[in-house]
Amino acid sequence: MPNIVLFSGSSNHDLSQKVAERLGLDLGKVVTKKFSNQETCVEIGESVRGEDVYIVQSGCGEVNDNLMELLIMINACKIASALRVTPVIPCFPYARQDKKDKVSRAPISAKLVANMLSVAGADHIITMDLHASQIQGFFDIAVDNLYAEPAVLQWIKGNIPEWKNCIIVSPDAGGAKRVTSIADHLNVEFALIHKERKNSEVESMALVGDVKNRIAILLDDLADTCDIVCLAANKLISAGAIKVYAILTHGIFSGPAISRINSSPFEAVVVTNTIPQEDKMKLCPKIQVIDISMILAEAIRRTHNGESVSYLFRHVPM
Amino acid sequence: MSFSSAWVPKKPLPEYQEADTNNHPDMNITKGGLVIFSANSNPSCMELAKRIAERLGVELGKVQVYQEANRETRVQIQESVRGKDVFIIQTVSKDVNTIIMELLIMVYACRTSCARSIIGVVPYFPYSKQCKMRKRGSIVSKLLASMMCKAGEYRQHRSFLWNMPCLSTSLTHLITMDLHQKEIQGFFNIPVDNLRASPFLLQYIQEEIPDYRNAVIVAKSPASAKRAQSFAERLRLGIAVIHGEAQDAESDLVDGRHSPPMVKNIGAIHPSLEIPLLIPKEKPPITVVGDVGGRIAIIVDDIIDDVDTFLAAADTLKERGAYKIYVMATHGILSSDAPRLIEESAIDEVVVTNTIPHEIQKLQCPKIKTVDISMILSEAIRRIHNGESMSYLFRNIGVDD
Repeated sequence: MPNIVLFSGSSNHDLSQKVAERLGLDLGKVVTKKFSNQETCVEIGESVRGEDVYIVQSGCGEVNDNLMELLIMINACKIASALRVTPVIPCFPYARQDKKDKVSRAPISAKLVANMLSVAGADHIITMDLHASQIQGFFDIAVDNLYAEPAVLQWIKGNIPEWKNCIIVSPDAGGAKRVTSIADHLNVEFALIHKERKNSEVESMALVGDVKNRIAILLDDLADTCDIVCLAANKLISAGAIKVYAILTHGIFSGPAISRINSSPFEAVVVTNTIPQEDKMKLCPKIQVIDISMILAEAIRRTHNGESVSYLFRHVPM
Repeated sequence: MSFSSAWVPKKPLPEYQEADTNNHPDMNITKGGLVIFSANSNPSCMELAKRIAERLGVELGKVQVYQEANRETRVQIQESVRGKDVFIIQTVSKDVNTIIMELLIMVYACRTSCARSIIGVVPYFPYSKQCKMRKRGSIVSKLLASMMCKAGEYRQHRSFLWNMPCLSTSLTHLITMDLHQKEIQGFFNIPVDNLRASPFLLQYIQEEIPDYRNAVIVAKSPASAKRAQSFAERLRLGIAVIHGEAQDAESDLVDGRHSPPMVKNIGAIHPSLEIPLLIPKEKPPITVVGDVGGRIAIIVDDIIDDVDTFLAAADTLKERGAYKIYVMATHGILSSDAPRLIEESAIDEVVVTNTIPHEIQKLQCPKIKTVDISMILSEAIRRIHNGESMSYLFRNIGVDD
């Protein structure tokens, strides 16, 4: 009977530690280092022969380095005769380059990453809140796209006192489906903001829905430069919202994001710990973190035992 | 266009003279055309590509390769590649993983934009030292080879009825130079051309080292003895081999390179690895097999990266009576502290080719000289595009080179 062996890449050691604690295991011994010419070297420190291996690595920080490290680790486990290798990728890298834009020579890098993971030897993928759920179709192997939604609902109910009087807002038209799903669960209304282009240059943001005297909760899947999200917050305050919260699954916060958030009217910006947030929290007191390690731990446990994972789409495990 | 200083031979090598007179200024553009891209985002890495393009008489293709704010790579090709032979030149420098991603994304972009064939020109193939199974490691060269060949899905149609371009695989051909181990060619499903830099290095020896006939070719460890012998054979010189007891740079258990890298990049190394770097090694008893007394010693190797072994070899050779010491290597990675160590050592000159950009290292250490090898790469590109034989480029190569 194979055991679970959990390895951590170097991108999000904290999250892997929490997942291991919840599973009641120790993290597997692995040495990941770089040589003097910047090449990555991975050495697995314990036997994985015939075991069920899970590798936790997020596509954040130095994305290319972390991706290469993940691929090398998968390959190392595969040729060390692991029974099954499952990368757990909370934040999928290159997820936004998933279609050809107007310039038809754009590469679909998400498909390339899917191919690379398959070639390296992955048998199964566990990820969370993919930017577009169609990315599941890029793989020929099974992909579990978990949702942070139950954890977000739990946070809203626990931390926003007047949540029954709130309104969920989507910062762009594309996120409307995500927002309506949460609004239905909470039994509140929703609104959305969409960009109006005049003369294909000047964009103004138009609010569809009424936010007067309500608490507005902006919901999106990732926050990178936080451009749109901060403009949306300003718009909501000027339209009469009392407070504005932002809840985002993946908090990348690159470039001028932190300074934008510090100068914005947000009450709090809430992200999950798919991407490590300690240093950003020091720079910006508005950032709060939802822990999703229990969702990942439960998914790993259920996958290993062959049980159904659909419980996790509705509930947050204890 | 002004390039950085690189040594170019005064008279071209005999095997290339015939090729030079046949050099067509316009590159058979009617026959489907060719496009040369450089998939590097770093301008210093693009120099080799510019040299090659100049030799071939074409302009480098317009492409934008850059890293976004969240460190993801983005590639935007700005001219048509439909039905053309695309050559993607990629030089490896510090950020190896980013360079690999840039190359793969570029190859994939060309494939989905209906290029006729995609040929990768990667003079220094990265991760070539991780080509063996070590304890529970990964054979990264094999992983890289699989990704290059299969990451675009292997599929090939042939349309015999019309003269339509075949919908080909991701990478159809690879040109590289002086692979660390020739067996890496077998990791690929596609044809791999392993060109040699040795004719250029030999010509450098013959033209720039005044009394080279009084030289001895030295192998700094028994592993590089074969290469030393092929050099010595062509120059009609003797060889010497250095053998130390604790030298297991190529052993199965230990990869002798330093780790972690001593770089000031923020975020490139794990914050947890704060160990002191250059732990002083004890000098094992080293023996030199062969006579170097009163001669010039020329150490030859394929890659010069961590220079500790070279320094130890140079010290030993100086003790045994060599009056001048040269180091010739194809790929000059020269990472971390190498330039300073070379400057302070007994080595007189380090000669590397321009497969890897090393301008910064040259500024720190004037002993480093560059040999330009863009001629052989441009000749290979020309021959592949015109469907001519490449055997000319392999003429004066020994069996063990």
